Amino acid sequence: MIGIKSYGAYLPRYLLSRKLIAEAWGFPVIPGNKTVANFDEDSVTMAVEAGMDCLWGFDKSTIDGLYFATTTQPYLEKNSASLIATVLDLKKDIISMDFTDSINAGAAALARAFDTIKSNEDIKNIIVIASDKREPEPSTMSEYVMSDGAAAFLIGEGTNEDVLVSIENYFSVSDNVTGPWRRTASDSFVRNFEPKHEAKYGYINNITAAMKGIMDKNNLKPEDLGIVVYYYNNPGLLGRVSKMLKFSQAQIQDSLFFTLGDTGTPFCFMLLITALKRVKPEQKILFAGYGDGAIAFYMKIENDRGIRNIKKTRMGMIKSEKSMIELKNYSKFIDNRKYLVKDRYIRKSSPVTIWRDSASIYPMHGIRCNSCGVVQYPIWPICCECGGRDLTEIPLKLKGKIFTFALDHLVGGGYYSIPTPRCVIDLDGGGRVLCNMTECENPEEEVKIDMEVELTFRKVHEGAKFMNYYWKCRPVRGRP
Amino acid sequence: MAVKGIKDKVAIIGVGASKFGELWDDNQFSLLIKSTDDAMADAGVKRDDIEAIWVGIQYYFTGLSGGTVADALKLWGKPITRIENYCASGMDAFRNACNAVASGVNDVVLACGVEKLLDEGSKGLPGFREFGFPVLPMPSAPAMFSFAATRSFKEYGWTREDLARVAVKNHDNGSHHPKAHFRKQVSLDAVLKAPMIADPLGRFDCCAMSDGSAALILTRPELAPSYAHGDDYVIVKANALSVYTNMPWYSPNFDFTSFPSTTTAAKLAYKEAGITNPRKEIDCAEVHDCFTITELLNCQDLQFCERGQAAEELKNGTFNWDGETAINPSGGLKSFGHPIGATGCRMLYEVSKQVQGRADGRQTPDAKIGLAHNLGGAYTVCSVTILSQNK
Repeated sequence: MIGIKSYGAYLPRYLLSRKLIAEAWGFPVIPGNKTVANFDEDSVTMAVEAGMDCLWGFDKSTIDGLYFATTTQPYLEKNSASLIATVLDLKKDIISMDFTDSINAGAAALARAFDTIKSNEDIKNIIVIASDKREPEPSTMSEYVMSDGAAAFLIGEGTNEDVLVSIENYFSVSDNVTGPWRRTASDSFVRNFEPKHEAKYGYINNITAAMKGIMDKNNLKPEDLGIVVYYYNNPGLLGRVSKMLKFSQAQIQDSLFFTLGDTGTPFCFMLLITALKRVKPEQKILFAGYGDGAIAFYMKIENDRGIRNIKKTRMGMIKSEKSMIELKNYSKFIDNRKYLVKDRYIRKSSPVTIWRDSASIYPMHGIRCNSCGVVQYPIWPICCECGGRDLTEIPLKLKGKIFTFALDHLVGGGYYSIPTPRCVIDLDGGGRVLCNMTECENPEEEVKIDMEVELTFRKVHEGAKFMNYYWKCRPVRGRP
Repeated sequence: MAVKGIKDKVAIIGVGASKFGELWDDNQFSLLIKSTDDAMADAGVKRDDIEAIWVGIQYYFTGLSGGTVADALKLWGKPITRIENYCASGMDAFRNACNAVASGVNDVVLACGVEKLLDEGSKGLPGFREFGFPVLPMPSAPAMFSFAATRSFKEYGWTREDLARVAVKNHDNGSHHPKAHFRKQVSLDAVLKAPMIADPLGRFDCCAMSDGSAALILTRPELAPSYAHGDDYVIVKANALSVYTNMPWYSPNFDFTSFPSTTTAAKLAYKEAGITNPRKEIDCAEVHDCFTITELLNCQDLQFCERGQAAEELKNGTFNWDGETAINPSGGLKSFGHPIGATGCRMLYEVSKQVQGRADGRQTPDAKIGLAHNLGGAYTVCSVTILSQNK
């Protein structure tokens, strides 16, 4: 059978209370929060986190493909899946592909992964990662709604032990409704025209058509389904669809919208992961994504024990949410988003050197000296301790302890009142690295020798006009 | 076969320096003219007597190649070489000049250094180059030494107050020096309350951004008496340069409480000079104090005290201008700032005058043997020179 073997999720560190948005613009207050990615994050870096979470404990050599879904690509030309696969240290002989341009890209990628595995004997496992960092226009209702995050499913073929949730089949509808949209070159923000029209003729028509379609295809009655999960970006619409299709309140998912907002492409994944919190053996699942049409899946719980085990060993939605904090004010959000144009120092760079040192920079490989045993970083041809040249390339652990640090107010010829912690870190299992720290609210109090840190993949600058990514460290959020 | 080393083979017959500071009216050329005019006048040599020149310059924006000196002095056709070796650039220019004299290739040579930092408008030193690793983090210079401070606090139990005493001592010394950038004393309280630059290093823990230039004229000892100071020239007893990594934070066993380049250069220099008890035998030393922590750790690595004892020794007055080993009687980088390429030559200028008994600021009583020490980069490069009066 083919289905979900694992999942992972990433929620950024920060939440923005909708109250702060209301206060900033003099709007009516809507309850709840929305997630906010940090300034050094984009859809790729968040995808790396969700991917790491999803693949924890799996042998990476068994992964045959990576599908990445987003509406917020770092590049218009150049895919992201290949970069994410490199950072996740997947093998080279895999399929990597991006699914873009609609918030249905996540569900679409899931369907394609299912098809790919079904039709290819030598492709057993594909990780599907959805991630988005969308920009709603400040001072519009969209600002209450759109939020950031990433989620992943490992789709694979196997027994009902390996496959936790089987995918039986899917039903897809395609429809052209203009809204929401963002033009490639000229739009900074996601646009809407007439939300009521989009809701009725875009969202409701398509999501119900897909869901009815999959139920008819499988002769399912509403009461046959244990879990019903479908994308929505408005709590009112969630209820309307449920009523139209005669689902009970108990069948439909928790209202993540209030606590996290609509994360876009990964949102339906997050809804499903959240629904997997409480499962019963052999429960039937209806799962649907929306965007320029809709796709609905019929799934079944195969291994409820396995699901509980995955829940324990993942950041998932639960641990991610527990380690989030609220931004203190709206200006922090403006600064994170870089909505204010400031002179920022940009280092020099070269795609050539990044390519040459790819193994050190992306999957964080170091070397072990076979003469003296010392693990070191980055990869160089001669051991820094004994001068030996018999070295083995090894992946380094992405967590460790601070050996020494500085809280640096000087960055690239400018003085900043908030310091950047520069941390010399002894990684668990060996290797010493230097990483800037991100997402530490009170470095003066928190950063100490022997402090435990996790490495997190971030965008560091745009030297030579391309995206320069590298690892930073952060206070522990609890990643395994 | 020649005896190795340069001990007693090189004499300093003249020294010169520009004023150090925020010199908005000067450029790198006028600074070089001031220091080299001063040195040539001091030695009593004419510019045509100079056979070869080495110039220490760190930054490309101060000037590339020997052409920077040729253009400044409008001195055409001479062999001139620019030396870049981080903060030891100036003293490395001196080392190369010494080698030319000691080897017998040249009779009269000029070593000089210059840096024009202020025109860049940078807060702190302009970015070091990327070492071919464009995404690896590059800490600021204060942060590099803050790593050492953080570790020293843990290992030696030092505090910010221990560091502050270095600033208080050096600014006190510098207040007496006519060429210093800063000529004011500072209180311990003012040092401790200054804004942070790279925590735990505050503004007074860091040397300033300054412009300046210094120069020295060298010859063989047998030729030295024919110049302005006659028999009262300065003799070079030792010079050593030691280089370690640009990126010590990737060395798994680096302890950040000692600078191996200083330790190594010191050992080599003491061996060459025949010094067995540096604390007793060295009367005064210009020790690289780019940051307060740097001076404390260097004093240990230069064997002026035991490891872990520098803060206590400083507190007890060992390193005062009239103490057992005077450290930075000129006021050091704390008072002069740090025009990178110039600093090494400026230190040699100071130590030369000290051992000749004609120091501009605080003359160390009865100074006979002095030491100059540069530490550059991420504790990457160290240069140690030992000078003696010709007695």
